[in-house]
Amino acid sequence: MSVSFQTMAAIRFGYGFKPGEPVPSDKRALLEQVPVGAANAPLFPIGGIEARRKAIADAADALQAIRKGNAADPDKRAAENAMYRRLGEMSQRDIDARIAQAVFSPNGFYERLASFWVNHFSVSLQKTQQMRLIVPLFEAEAIRPNIGKPFPELLKAVTRHPAMLIYLDQAQSIGPDSQVGLKQKKGLNENLARELIELHTLGAGSGYSQTDVRSAATVLTGIALDRQGLTAEFKPGMSEPGSHAVLGVSYGAKPRSEADYLAMLDNLALHPKTAQHICRKLVAHFIADQPPQPMIDVMADCWNNTKGDLSAVYATMLDHPDAWSGEGAKARSPFDFVVAGLRALNLPRNPLADSAAIPSLTVADAGQGMEGPAASPAPTAPPPSSAPPAGSAAPMAADSRAVPVPAGNAGHDGNATAAMPTPAAMDAAKHDATAPMGASMTAGTASSPVGDPAAEVLRRKQEQAALEAIFYVPSGLGVYALRRMGQPVWQPSSPAGFPDNFDAWINASALSERLAWSRRAIGRYGKQTDPRQFLKDTLGDAAREDTIRVVSQAPSRVTGLTLVLASPDFNRR
Amino acid sequence: MSLSRRSFLASACCLAAAPVFTPLSFAAMPGDNRFVTIVLRGAMDGLDLVQPHGEAAFAALRPDIAMRPDQGLLDLDGFFGLHPAAAGLMPLWQLKELAFVHAVSTPYRDARSHFDGQDMLESGGDHVAEEKTGWLNRALAVIPRSTARKAIDINTSTELILSGPNIADVWASDSALGTGADEAQFLKRLYANDPVFAKAMDEATRADQAAEMGMAPGTKRGEQIADIASLAGKMLLRDYRIASFSINGWDTHVQQVNQFKKAAGDLTEAILTLKNTLGPEVWKTTVVLAMTEFGRTVRQNGSGGTDHGTGGCCLLAGGAIAGGRVLGRWPGIGDHQLLDDRDLMPTADVREVAAAMLYKQFDVPPGDLTAKIFPGLDFSKGSQFLKV
Repeated sequence: MSVSFQTMAAIRFGYGFKPGEPVPSDKRALLEQVPVGAANAPLFPIGGIEARRKAIADAADALQAIRKGNAADPDKRAAENAMYRRLGEMSQRDIDARIAQAVFSPNGFYERLASFWVNHFSVSLQKTQQMRLIVPLFEAEAIRPNIGKPFPELLKAVTRHPAMLIYLDQAQSIGPDSQVGLKQKKGLNENLARELIELHTLGAGSGYSQTDVRSAATVLTGIALDRQGLTAEFKPGMSEPGSHAVLGVSYGAKPRSEADYLAMLDNLALHPKTAQHICRKLVAHFIADQPPQPMIDVMADCWNNTKGDLSAVYATMLDHPDAWSGEGAKARSPFDFVVAGLRALNLPRNPLADSAAIPSLTVADAGQGMEGPAASPAPTAPPPSSAPPAGSAAPMAADSRAVPVPAGNAGHDGNATAAMPTPAAMDAAKHDATAPMGASMTAGTASSPVGDPAAEVLRRKQEQAALEAIFYVPSGLGVYALRRMGQPVWQPSSPAGFPDNFDAWINASALSERLAWSRRAIGRYGKQTDPRQFLKDTLGDAAREDTIRVVSQAPSRVTGLTLVLASPDFNRR
Repeated sequence: MSLSRRSFLASACCLAAAPVFTPLSFAAMPGDNRFVTIVLRGAMDGLDLVQPHGEAAFAALRPDIAMRPDQGLLDLDGFFGLHPAAAGLMPLWQLKELAFVHAVSTPYRDARSHFDGQDMLESGGDHVAEEKTGWLNRALAVIPRSTARKAIDINTSTELILSGPNIADVWASDSALGTGADEAQFLKRLYANDPVFAKAMDEATRADQAAEMGMAPGTKRGEQIADIASLAGKMLLRDYRIASFSINGWDTHVQQVNQFKKAAGDLTEAILTLKNTLGPEVWKTTVVLAMTEFGRTVRQNGSGGTDHGTGGCCLLAGGAIAGGRVLGRWPGIGDHQLLDDRDLMPTADVREVAAAMLYKQFDVPPGDLTAKIFPGLDFSKGSQFLKV
């Protein structure tokens, strides 16, 4: 091993160094991040899981109520658009919070695993309007608590989650000979069943047949969503009667029950091909595009011997000597790059983002922008260029519930302690907030009549500025930057997720984007930093001689810092 | 990757346009006199801007860079000549609104790091890390009758020279300064031993050149420096009296002939824009000081460029100076006259030039100049630079 354990732990198995954050000193400390991370609620969905479930239900009710109206009614369309816009705002804040979660969490290995599994079980918030609220919930409640558990538990939590059922059309799959199928003349949709085998478990080309896919789809029939789209229910009236064989095992009897598909998921999860497939993906993600087979085999053996205990599999991975050699063979993905860059620059925490109002969704206030001060009559809002933004946060925070931080969090997860606004964070919020909240919240509520496009544009601009003010990461460095770089959060272009190979992320356009991002980020957060110290703090002993020399000779501080973030050493891991 | 060609070009364009974030800093105070500092980042080659063509040895030391008056060099005084890329400044020279001080440096010696060099230049200290704030900021505290003004901190950063406890406004400009030709060279070196990154960089650079050719009319990069200078001028027409900004692109290690032309053009553009924006009345009360962290080697290097040196040159402009002269004590460039057998020997402290201008423009007491603003500096009312 030519690079120290700490450097490998931070860069290969985490999101890089962050000034002042302790680095795991041994494998045990690294593994210990998994249960600690899993026990702590992430920063998203904004408002927490319970508030989000309520918001999803409210949104479903509200949209249903709106859609009942006359399609030609302009008020109806306006109300509908206002709802969509609100969903879009909530989604942007969640994306921002996901980036911030990775930046501020001291459990880098856990965060990297969470990203790995979210990409393994890809869903997209572009599938439907409600998915914009559901996908963050999916990661928070189906993925994150389960990634240190046995794989069957993770697989079941994920497969039954509304996000997966909606994304892969399971909600529309009905047994053709079931009561509902016969009555409505509807039948199977194979989408989830196919991806379940091809992507989530055994892997493509692992020897299953089209018949297995079709049978699996048949076994899955009966899983449906409740009316509000919040919970998976088993509806026997939709499930195909009889017994169906998948990979030689029969599922189903009379009467059909959810035990059938759960047994199938258990078996798929523990199939030796699944162990090979996922261990290969793990090694390909963390270590090398062409993963060494012996390492995969050791991990797959562990999987088979422990009934897919993921924590044991991770431990086996870290115990293998290949985990600690051949550094720099992988490319940081855009998300990894952005998060590592913000960590290196020690992004200050925006206290407004921690304390901002939780928007709720009702038909009544759908046209009013985000909830909070908008609800209170404030006819004398200051013009956008006056009131200091930091001051305007006070009424908003007082008016609203704070984002809950789980108790008992403080000892493990830096998120809790960081939630106390520090002077530095307050200062950052002052800079980040570009428009007073009060003004934007009230502007255009009653006064902008539908059909005044100028007022509408102005109102939207103000809303966007207000949104920015309560972001953890300025959107040009976060939400929008990742879109430009080709890895928008929670929006993979296919169920296969984002690519994980070097060539996908390192090319001319990617490099240009990364340079532009580096300059913007450094202009904002890095001006007082000495590039040589920054190089040391950011790359440790992973900095090559070339990089040290070129950075130390850079013609200016900004260029020097840019060269650090642009260096191959920073973009490789 | 799902980037469209258009967004790729747009982003690749940012690459060479090098939008190095350039803040403009201002301070307001009563009185009519104006003072502008321009930090030339990357080590401006004073021997290229103001060439000692009267030195017989000069052409041989720099076969690819040195020019004679019959090759386009603009003779100033029979011994020194101005680089033709700065030809736009010649009318100012004739009006005695332009002067140079040759063979100056900060007290920084031996290590030749841009960062430390710029820190020294901007902090005004006698040695590295002595001062944490900028000398122009400390000067604000001792300028008689200067009044504080509420800060408008629109953006997050301020350059060291004007940063510190005293209030100065910072305006952010997104304008790019310089093509970053020197930066491109650094990226090339950064990727030299990583073929994948080197190839990606090559492609990006080619795409950038293509994109630039397709740039809309009127979006030439030179106009970006004009934007900065024009903004500075407009602020000085109001109640601001001090402005500071930077020009990048001076680190000419490779093919200096092309790179230097561009940077010198930016500097010329900046000064002419300031003069035009301020108008004749205000220009009369104005001093512009353009200075750099250190000079460059007297001999050219193996790639048609020059490396980090010590002694350099600073520029003074404005209607308030008695210019038309190259000041300073010329040390010569003969075999035994160079510092460490490579650099122009500094014969004066560039801080003394700055101190003289603060005294001249704002009556800053010499005692404060040598104690608080430039610790360790030798400065008195007899300074040669007060004759400017």
